[in-house]
Amino acid sequence: MKALAFPAMAPPLDGPDALSGVLEAARLGDLTAFETLMRRHERLVLVTALRLLGKMEDAQDASQEVFLRLYRNLGKVQASQNIAGWLYRVTVNVCHDVHRRRPDETPMDETAEPVSRGADPQQAVTRQEQEKVLELSLRFLSHKERAALVLRDLEGLSTEEVARILGTSQATVRSQIFKARIKVKDFVERYFRRRV
Amino acid sequence: MNCNDWEERIALYAGGDLDAAQNAEVEHHLAECGGCRIFAGGMKESLALLRSAHDDPIAAGHYTAMRAGVLAQLATERPLWRRWIWLSALAAGLVLAMAFLATRPIGTPPVHLADLRPPKTPAAPPSPVQGPVRALRVRARRTVASVGRVPGPAPLEEPLLVKLVTDDPDIVIYWIADKRGEDK
Repeated sequence: MKALAFPAMAPPLDGPDALSGVLEAARLGDLTAFETLMRRHERLVLVTALRLLGKMEDAQDASQEVFLRLYRNLGKVQASQNIAGWLYRVTVNVCHDVHRRRPDETPMDETAEPVSRGADPQQAVTRQEQEKVLELSLRFLSHKERAALVLRDLEGLSTEEVARILGTSQATVRSQIFKARIKVKDFVERYFRRRV
Repeated sequence: MNCNDWEERIALYAGGDLDAAQNAEVEHHLAECGGCRIFAGGMKESLALLRSAHDDPIAAGHYTAMRAGVLAQLATERPLWRRWIWLSALAAGLVLAMAFLATRPIGTPPVHLADLRPPKTPAAPPSPVQGPVRALRVRARRTVASVGRVPGPAPLEEPLLVKLVTDDPDIVIYWIADKRGEDK
């Protein structure tokens, strides 16, 4: 199928006009144009999903669902609108659904994959341990706290943008961020104090 | 203000979520309170750890797998989508055809018995008939005989001419029968 051909390089989408053209082509069923849209926004979706869910397998499933929803709602998504905001919102919602459906959490110790980050094994172990601890700390957060923390502190969105994505007020977002930061800090300090 | 009450502000201060005036208040308090300085330091450290732990790029293969999954799913959905278009077009065509047929008379046009009279000139052929006339073979049984013939006036020697007029003015059917009801 011609439309399913994988282009080696996605064409650049500089400016709203180029994005409008790609959106229009994707609306008309051009899968190559839709793949261009995916390539443009895949980091946003997959990284956010991974930060919200903690496991690559779940994040990939969630990301696929997000892009399928985008494809089915291309008629509603306007080029003038903030597609990134729409994707963030849907990603948070899909990850929330995945989180609810997910069975009991597997301890991180069993799922941690060995990572190699350079020649210094001690440094690699330390880094890996830090990541484990931080991932564990995020699991103590409620879904809303985690979403607020990920969007604000890891994705670098403003409080106003986070509030719009989560459909809540800026005051609520600030409250969720404050609680989440305190919980992460307490967990990290307790963990390393215990290890020492 | 108790130092516990400063925790929220310090947590927001560490993430850069306060305006300039609130920042100044927090910094003024931190300058005076050692416990809160430790708290603020720990908060900034954990935030930095959190950010550094999540800034590693994801391997390109994960993106490729994700995209392939989406496109494969869409490839299975698109034929259904296209099938729906064809089915819709077919259904629309059927509706149009039915509507067209409904506006036309169905079957053979009704035949009215318009005239039943003996011809004025028995010997002459039925003059109104022009052009090719299809021979009608009436296979009607002689039901009249089985019912019984009612005695009436003396049978006419002239054949009986039945003119059948249809809805189509161009089609007129003549039925010529002898006195016993047989076709001529």
